[in-house]
Amino acid sequence: MRQRRAIALLGVGVLLVATRGLAHHSFAAEYDNQKMITLSGAVTKLVWRNPHAHLFIDVKDQSGTLINWDFELNGPNGLLRRGWTRESLKPGDQVTVNGYLARDGSHLVNAVAVTMGDGRKIFAGSSVDGNTTP
Amino acid sequence: MTVNTLSRPPRGLSPLLLITVVAGVLLGTVHGAGAQWVTYPTPHTPRLANGKPNLAAPAPRLNGKPDLSGIWVRVEPPAPPDPNPIGPNLKDYMPAGAVIPLRPAAERLYRERSTKFGAGRPSQRCLPHSIPDAMLPGALIKFVQNPELTILLYEEFNHYRQIFTDGRPLPAVSQPAWFGYSVGKWEGDTFVVQTSGFNDESWLDDWGLPHTEAMRTIERFRRTDFGHMQMEVTIDDPEAYTKPWSAIVRFDLRPDTELIEDICDNETDSAHIEAK
Repeated sequence: MRQRRAIALLGVGVLLVATRGLAHHSFAAEYDNQKMITLSGAVTKLVWRNPHAHLFIDVKDQSGTLINWDFELNGPNGLLRRGWTRESLKPGDQVTVNGYLARDGSHLVNAVAVTMGDGRKIFAGSSVDGNTTP
Repeated sequence: MTVNTLSRPPRGLSPLLLITVVAGVLLGTVHGAGAQWVTYPTPHTPRLANGKPNLAAPAPRLNGKPDLSGIWVRVEPPAPPDPNPIGPNLKDYMPAGAVIPLRPAAERLYRERSTKFGAGRPSQRCLPHSIPDAMLPGALIKFVQNPELTILLYEEFNHYRQIFTDGRPLPAVSQPAWFGYSVGKWEGDTFVVQTSGFNDESWLDDWGLPHTEAMRTIERFRRTDFGHMQMEVTIDDPEAYTKPWSAIVRFDLRPDTELIEDICDNETDSAHIEAK
């Protein structure tokens, strides 16, 4: 079950590349660029491995049940070159993530933007390939 | 100080200024100490008066030939941004309207792979991109040129190639390889690399251009100045294509940085990772 929330992200004019074709598997094969979703919740885990870092977040569904969602990020090397580390988010941090839903209906999203509670964008600047250099 | 402490924003800043400040601080913290050598001055780099690398300086030379040594990244071709990307497309590195001379069976395979958006490509399982596809993701490639051997270190998946320049011929091959077997020589200021002995498993690009074990490639590298290099790659595979065909990839030097290890973990998908 998907949740859509009309979360108004702060109007920061930071352009995040909305396309996430990835070196290791094809974006188009795995994700649906017609299905953007925005979810908010608390970080449960940040997996900092190649080829893609993964951010896991507990999101409340409509009945109040916590569902754990998997958000695929850039590769750790690409994130590092843009100034992020595996310490950039901790379990319990509240974030809002928007991105493209996996085609198979699972709780998997290709993340476009990750925003902290105070509006700061984190892991920003992700580009087409998993570990591209800026 | 930890990154987290420094990343707490001061109050009262506009969001855009906030981002700039945070980004600057984070970058300064993560990179300023040369963490992982992400920013580290490369020795023997010609510099401008302001200390920045002089990318227009002449190409360095080794034993009377251009020295290709350095960390390079491909220049992305000017294709329009695709909201539904499949990945690098070798056609984008050819003149507009160029036709790739696929044989019918190869064409069918190419269409099938492209129609499925490149699903199932080897890099999905952390297997090599090979030649020329390993040049195409925007990841760093380090050339290490010695008189008798040039080594290519691909940051992507931590793969490498050896190009022997000691005069040996291409070998007989009973064990085809993902990257084949390469020898190189200079023709004037062009480094000409011949490779054969490929297995048939790699895709030439993410859209699925196929090849067979019969493929031989020729890569011609020219370092035009300190910061720029060009490669023309010719694909000669009579079992998949009716004639040889070529593409051109340009490279920009990335001075003052270093490769970061990139071991591709095939098990990092949501089916395999323990979420909590």
